[in-house]
Amino acid sequence: MASTGNLPVRSVWRRRGFHTAAAAAAIATSVALAGCGSSSNNNNSSTNTTASGGLGGGGGSGTTTSTTLGKTGGGTAKGTATSGSIKFWASPITTSSPDPRKVLITAFEKAYPHIKVTLESAPSDTDTNRSVLSSQIGGGGGPDVYMGDVIWPAQFGSQKFAVPLSKYLPNSYFNTFAPGLIAGATYNGQVYGAPFFEDQGFLYYRKDILKADHLQVPKTWEQLVSESKQIQAKKQTKYGYVFQAADYEGATCNFMEFLTDAGGKVLNSSANKSELSANNAAVKALTFMHSLVSSGVSPSGESTYQEANAMNAFDAGDAAFLRNWDYAYSTSQASGSKVIGKVGVAPLPTFKGQSYPGYSNIGGWNLYVNPNSKNVAADITFVKWMTGTKAQNILATQFSEIPTNQSVRTESKVVKSNAVLAIVPKTRLVARPAQTPKYAAVSQAIYQNVSAAVGGSKSPSAAISAANSSINSTLSGGGL
Amino acid sequence: MAVTSAPPPATSGLPPGVSGRPLVGRHDVFRRQLARLGWGFSAPALIFIALVTVFPIVYSVIISFRHVLLYSTGFHMSGFTLNNYAKIIHYGPWRYAVAFTVGYTVVTVLVELVLGMGIALVLERLSRGRGIMMALLLLPWSLITVISARLWQYLYDPSVGAASKLVQLFGAHNPVILGHNASAIIALMVADIWKTTPFVAIILLAGLVMLPQDVYEAAEVDGASEWATFFRITLPMLAPTIGLAILFRVLQAFGLFDLPNVLTGGGPGHATTSLAILGYQAMFEFNQAWGPGAAIATSTALLVVLGCLCFYRVFKAQAAREVG
Repeated sequence: MASTGNLPVRSVWRRRGFHTAAAAAAIATSVALAGCGSSSNNNNSSTNTTASGGLGGGGGSGTTTSTTLGKTGGGTAKGTATSGSIKFWASPITTSSPDPRKVLITAFEKAYPHIKVTLESAPSDTDTNRSVLSSQIGGGGGPDVYMGDVIWPAQFGSQKFAVPLSKYLPNSYFNTFAPGLIAGATYNGQVYGAPFFEDQGFLYYRKDILKADHLQVPKTWEQLVSESKQIQAKKQTKYGYVFQAADYEGATCNFMEFLTDAGGKVLNSSANKSELSANNAAVKALTFMHSLVSSGVSPSGESTYQEANAMNAFDAGDAAFLRNWDYAYSTSQASGSKVIGKVGVAPLPTFKGQSYPGYSNIGGWNLYVNPNSKNVAADITFVKWMTGTKAQNILATQFSEIPTNQSVRTESKVVKSNAVLAIVPKTRLVARPAQTPKYAAVSQAIYQNVSAAVGGSKSPSAAISAANSSINSTLSGGGL
Repeated sequence: MAVTSAPPPATSGLPPGVSGRPLVGRHDVFRRQLARLGWGFSAPALIFIALVTVFPIVYSVIISFRHVLLYSTGFHMSGFTLNNYAKIIHYGPWRYAVAFTVGYTVVTVLVELVLGMGIALVLERLSRGRGIMMALLLLPWSLITVISARLWQYLYDPSVGAASKLVQLFGAHNPVILGHNASAIIALMVADIWKTTPFVAIILLAGLVMLPQDVYEAAEVDGASEWATFFRITLPMLAPTIGLAILFRVLQAFGLFDLPNVLTGGGPGHATTSLAILGYQAMFEFNQAWGPGAAIATSTALLVVLGCLCFYRVFKAQAAREVG
């Protein structure tokens, strides 16, 4: 390493002084910039004002030919606008072509020739998607309409990242959706998202094995366990039942199904207190999940299983029963799978003594409108059309997605189009406890403890009481 | 070279054209103007760097002292408050993250020093083949961390991973390496040590090859054993290099993010949630808590700076003692 020798004090001081001065100037400038940018205490109105906050401001929401809310293209914002320009932000829906987003946009533009829709492809990971959207919308810009996760309404509603649709659309519109979906999109009495297409948990089973062993499709969890044990004893599969219990959101989804089957719930009706310890249902559900692993019906790696792990095990023929979302059917029939032609779909079972079917957790996507948008009227029109019968039919018959529009779900053409859609009318739905803006922390409390209990590092009762106190502490302002 | 108080050598080691003398006198007016011109040319780049690095740091510190909410109209900040710091101090996972990050840093740096020292000693004796060996050894270091984390994830997979099969040979039944606290932490350390030991080895090797040979000859003449030579001669002379390696590694290890993010997501529970992961989760993932997240980031930076200052003070005293 070179040495600079011993320099006379005077010049060294001069040089060092220069550097110090430059650094101090940089910091002072930063403080000044940060200071004047952060004192923005604007009133947070929920209408579509453009950005004025902070230094992240700038960037409107796309080119627009229309004017402000309520005065656009001949219609008020009731979904009857006829002109405007929309930036539509959506992550890929399928992995193969044709792209359902583009097909729907083309069909919409044919119906509304003066409204132009531009597609912006979003990240496929839902958490990355949310971060990017937060930055964009918080920065004052962002897309006009965006497709978002079903668990976002409370978080986005409380931050005014989404327009309350119930201000512009009547109750009759919201009644067109399947029961349970609108409740999941509601926060503080307002509906923030329009259900676009939904997903839910199903029971996939090896119909060839059930037939060979003269077994019925299980209607109770107890029946599923006994059938699994028979199948495993005959060495027809390695495992009985694979599901998701890793340390991630999917564990909350799985737990919600068992919990609701046992008669429990997570939050009270005001969403400000935990009900997990109000009765024995949560402990019963979690004890059952743990017993699946401890009895060998489910693999010991379950506490690290996400959808892909469970899917791989089922596709390789290692499991007799699988809990997964709707895409699992087509994945199990794709080339490379060892169970082609051997898979059946059914609603999930429930606990003995409860009425069949068991509850399926709701996944899927809603459509939200950005308050920074300059043409809310056109946005509402677009949202209405995308959740209307024509678009929902396309989604169901052409792309095998589960429609949210109740009449489309029960249409015979849709029901006959694939095995999963045939089961959909027979299922019962339960949403995750996303009515609180702190849902992310609530879910984390649930899935961390559920995964620990399934993995055996916590007893089910300790896990539930830990989750209970964690949730209460979060909801009362504790935590971060 | 070790830290000494000897007079500067004849060739001062400065770049050509720079004399190190004060810029006074007629001849040096020109040099002064050249210097100013240099500053002028680099000013745009320096301003850009200041904006991209200094500004976010300062802004982050400011945010940590205010109550922050994010709306579609931007950040809304109010008041001066120490509440964010109070929140993180009372937050269990933060206290755990501090302990975990510090403990993790200490253990991995120690192991890497020992292993890296061994590798450097071997490499130093290689005359031919040293280049090839160094290139091979640097492969783990050159792999992007996220990619190597994915590879390790496959190795640790409960059903198909080689590491799981290896552990089964030692008697474990159906091991889920990343599913239990202790084994997940050890798995993380193994992946990190595999990646950064070559870096430490290279730094130590650079120091080793610069050591004067005459001291060793004298030791041989005096009949010193190999171990004595190593502990009494090599290590003390290598102290500055070791100090440098430790400094680099500590700064790096404190920012531990990519490995746990890919391998475990901070789990199981919050067992592998380091300070950087906790800050990221607080601000961008679970909590959207900007104030506390900034407080985490600021306090982490403070901890690192304090740690390095203490280390530097101790190290300087130690080195002065050794030489003097």
